[in-house]
Amino acid sequence: MPLSDLIGIWVAAFLTLAIYSFLYKDNPVYRFAESIFVGISLGYEIGLVFYRTIWPNLVERLIANPGPNWYLAIGGILGLMLYCRYIPKISFLGKWALAVYIGYFVGVELMQRLHGDVLPQIKDTMLPLNGPFWGSLQNLLIVVGVLSVLIYFYFSKPHTGILKPISKVGVYFIMICFGASFGYTVMARISLLIGRLTFLVDGWVRPMIALIFGSS
Amino acid sequence: MSDAMKIGGIDKRWVYLLVAIGALIPIIKPLGLPVLSTPAVEALFEKIESLEPGDVIMLSFDYGPSSAPELDPMAESILRHCFQRDISVVVVALFPLGGDNQAKIALNKIVPEFPVVEGEDYVYLGYKDGGLAVLRRMAEDISIVFPQDNRGIPLEDIPLMQRVQNYSDTELSVSLATGIMGEWWAILVNAQFGQPVAVGATAVSAPKYYAYLKAGQMLSLLGGLKGAAEYETLIGEHYPELKERSQIATRGMDVQSIVHLIIIGFIILGNIVYLISRSERTRAGGRLASK
Amino acid sequence: MRRQIAVLLCFLTGFFVVVAFFIEQDPIPDINEKLDELLVIVFAFALVLGVVSFLQHHSKKIRRRDKGWTSSVISISSLVIMALLGIFESSIRGTGVIGDRTTFDWVFNWVFTPLQATMFSLLAFMIASAAFRAFRIKNIEAAVLMVAAIIVMLGRVSIGQVIFPQSLAISEWIMNNPNLAAQRGILIGAALGAASMAIRVILGIERPYM
Repeated sequence: MPLSDLIGIWVAAFLTLAIYSFLYKDNPVYRFAESIFVGISLGYEIGLVFYRTIWPNLVERLIANPGPNWYLAIGGILGLMLYCRYIPKISFLGKWALAVYIGYFVGVELMQRLHGDVLPQIKDTMLPLNGPFWGSLQNLLIVVGVLSVLIYFYFSKPHTGILKPISKVGVYFIMICFGASFGYTVMARISLLIGRLTFLVDGWVRPMIALIFGSS
Repeated sequence: MSDAMKIGGIDKRWVYLLVAIGALIPIIKPLGLPVLSTPAVEALFEKIESLEPGDVIMLSFDYGPSSAPELDPMAESILRHCFQRDISVVVVALFPLGGDNQAKIALNKIVPEFPVVEGEDYVYLGYKDGGLAVLRRMAEDISIVFPQDNRGIPLEDIPLMQRVQNYSDTELSVSLATGIMGEWWAILVNAQFGQPVAVGATAVSAPKYYAYLKAGQMLSLLGGLKGAAEYETLIGEHYPELKERSQIATRGMDVQSIVHLIIIGFIILGNIVYLISRSERTRAGGRLASK
Repeated sequence: MRRQIAVLLCFLTGFFVVVAFFIEQDPIPDINEKLDELLVIVFAFALVLGVVSFLQHHSKKIRRRDKGWTSSVISISSLVIMALLGIFESSIRGTGVIGDRTTFDWVFNWVFTPLQATMFSLLAFMIASAAFRAFRIKNIEAAVLMVAAIIVMLGRVSIGQVIFPQSLAISEWIMNNPNLAAQRGILIGAALGAASMAIRVILGIERPYM
C-alpha cells in the first residue's frame, strides 16, 4: 500500500473519531474537524468548477473557435456579473444576472413540473375500478388516497362539511406515508453509520492489528 | 422519581452506546442473513439481462460521500453486471460535491476486474455543473456539454462516443442519486425525451419515488442499502463467479437488522415508559385533588 | 428603471424557455440549446457565490476577534489550500481514471470524505435517541404512523422476515398503495405550487432576485 494511503487512513480515522467525540460532548477537537470540513468543501467546489466547467466549456471553446462560439462569452459575462452584488455601486448588475438565471430555471421548472409531474401522476391515478375485485379495491384505495390528501392540503376553504371527513381520511394516508418514510429514513441513517464503522474496523483497526501482531 | 421516569430520563449517551455496540457486532462477526429481492429492483436486473453485447447504457453519479455507503454498492453491482454482459457504459457525474470522485472510485475498483478498454467498452466523461441544463442538452448532443472525456480526449476521437450522440443512442439511463436529482431524470429525461430511466436512490428519497415507479416514469427503483443488497443477491444468483465480490451491501444488511430491532425496542420502551408515567401522574393528580 | 430591467430580463428568459417547449421551428430550438449551454456556465459561477459570503462573514469574525474566531482561521485556511490545490494541480483536468493520485484527490478522499460521511452518520445516533425520547403515541394518528413505521422497518431487514414472515409482503403493499397514494397527492400539490410560484416569478409578482 502506498505511504500516502497509509497516512490517509490514519488521518481519516482521526477525523472520524474527532467527529464522533461530539456524541460524548462538544469539544475543541470536534470543532477543529468541523472547521476543516467547512473550508475544504468550499475549496473543493472552486477547484472543481474551474477545471470541469469554466475551463473546458467556456475558455477552451472560445480560444479554439471564437467565431461560432461567441455566445458563450455572454455566459461568462453573466457569471461574472453575479459577483457585482458585493460592490454596492454596481450591485444592480448582479441582480440582472440573477434575474436571467432565476428566469431560466423557473421556466424550466414550470414546464417540468406540469409536464413531468402533474400530468403523468394524474394520468396514472385514473385507474380502472371495474376489474377483478382485489385489483379494483387497490385501485380505489389509491384514488381515494390521492384525492383525500389533495383535499387535506387545500387551504383556500375551511375544512367543514363534506371536506372534514375527507381530509381526515387524507390525514390517515399521510400518517401511513410518514411512518413508511420514517422507516426508510432510519435505514438511510444507519447505512451512513455502517459505512464509517466498516472503515474503522476493516480499514483501520484490523490492518493495524495485523501489522502489530503480524497476522493476515 | 419512579423507575419508569428514571428509565425515561436516561442519559442519551447510553442510547448512543447501545446503537454503536449493536452496529459493531455484525461488522466484526457477520450474521449472513439472506436478502430477498423485490420487483422494483428485479426490473433493472431484467432490463440489463435483456440487452445485447455492445448495447450502451448511461450511468450517472449524482451523489457524494454522504450517500456513498448506500449508492456505491449499487454502482459497483451495475458496473459488474454490464461488464460481465459486454454492455458498454457511458459514465457521467452531475453532483457537485463529490460525484466526480465517487465515479472514479467505482471505476478504479471495478474496471481492473474485467478485460475492458477505456474508450471502447466504457468512457468516463467527467463532472459537469448545470444540473437541469446539462440533462436537457444531453438530449440533443452530449459532446456540447462534455466536449472531452475525463482524460481530455475530444469525444469525436473516442470509439464508443462515435456511436453515442445523445440519449436515444443508449438503451437506458441509470441515475444513482441523492436529493432531487433522481426526480429530474424521471420528470425531464423520461417524461420529455422518452428515455427509459432507472434510479438508485438513498432510502430517504425512495418512498417518494414509488409514485414515479408506478406511473412508469421510472423503469426501476433501487431504494437505499436494501436495494443495493437485492441487486447484489440477483448478481450472485445469476453469476456465481461474481458473488464473493458483490457482498458489501448484503453484509451491511446484517447491521441494519440488529440496529432496526434496537430502534424498534427503543420506540416500544419509550412508549411503555410514557404510558406508565402518564398513569402515575394521573393517579398522583387524583390523590392531590381528593386531599 | 434598474428594477424594471431586472423584472424584464426574468420575464423574457422564463417566457422564452416556456415557449421553446412548444415551438420546434427554427430559430427557437437553436436559441434554446445555446441558452442551455450559457446557463451551464452561469450555474458554475453561481456555485461559488457562497464562497464570497463565507469569506466576508469569517474574516469579519477574525478581525473583531469574536467568539470562535480561531475556527474561522482554520476554515479559511482549509478553503484557500483546497482551492489552490484544485486550480493548480493539473491532473484533475483529466488523466486516466486509473491511477490519478494528486494532493487534491488525496485531501478529498482522506479528509473531506470521512468528515462528511461521519457528520451525516451522527444522525443514526440522533434518530435512535429521538425514537426513545420523542416518538410518543398520543393519539390515533400517531399510532397509525408508528405501526406503519414498525412494519416497514421490519419488512426492510432480513431479521424482520424471520420474526414476522409477512412483513416484507405487507411492507411492499404499504409502499405501493397507501404510501404511493399519499406521496402522489403531496407530489401533485407541491408540483402545482411550484408551477404557480414559477408563473409568479416570471410575471414579476415575486422577485427573489431583488
